[in-house]
Amino acid sequence: MSDPKAKRDPSTETFLPLSRVRTIMKSSLDTGLITNEVLFMVTKCTELFVQHLAREAYKSYCSPSKQSASGGSSSDTLKYEHLSRLVNKSKNLEFLLQIVPDKIRVHEFQEMLRLNRNAVSGDEDDDDDDEDDDDEDDDESGSSSEAAE
Amino acid sequence: MVERIEDLNLPNAVITRLIKDALPDGASVSKEARASIARAASVFAIFVTSTSTALAHKQNHKTITAKDILETLSKLDFESFIPSLSQDLEAYRKMVKDKKESKASKKDANMPSNAEDATTIKATNNESANE
Repeated sequence: MSDPKAKRDPSTETFLPLSRVRTIMKSSLDTGLITNEVLFMVTKCTELFVQHLAREAYKSYCSPSKQSASGGSSSDTLKYEHLSRLVNKSKNLEFLLQIVPDKIRVHEFQEMLRLNRNAVSGDEDDDDDDEDDDDEDDDESGSSSEAAE
Repeated sequence: MVERIEDLNLPNAVITRLIKDALPDGASVSKEARASIARAASVFAIFVTSTSTALAHKQNHKTITAKDILETLSKLDFESFIPSLSQDLEAYRKMVKDKKESKASKKDANMPSNAEDATTIKATNNESANE
């Protein structure tokens, strides 16, 4: 798998449009002058990143040999879930956790909300002695934490 | 600055081509996966830029250099990109140098033969680089 990378000839051609990459770089705060050389490099490494992401996700979760092990569908189509799984697993892709989040079903989300609420109210029960006015629990905890800060 | 958020998107066709090049023949990519990769690529470019900028500032430099980018990549745990990127950088620097030289030689002698000179310089440079 590292073969194509090693074989790859160095090239001064970029596939991605430099002007667009410059715009993207400028959108980052505080970016000073962008030299052509740096623009070239960021464009190149973004291209490498695209290929790395696709290759790794495909290799780990999608290639036909892995299908039987993971019990997935037998197509060799790279899907969103392959990407989100890779992002979840890889330390150096942590910055994408918010960009490529795990997809969950509505009822799973509702379950999470419910558990979350229970956990929160459970905490409050431990912290606060006044269990009689349950309705105002949320408001009170909000204001009290604000006051604490 | 950026007027529309779409200005941060990378062109779909190019992303598709890059992905296709990375995957074995016969593999395909879902639309959703492609869109996510494109978005991830934009974020990656911003991420590298801001990390490099921070690195440059720490060394009291105002502008990012190629070295900052390479250091950033190793810091962000993308060392695997560094060999190919360094090679590309070398090729790029040579290309820029060749361009300058051909321009200089054009200035030197304003004759139609100077274009030929430039190509010979380029050729010899290529040979020496290959050794």
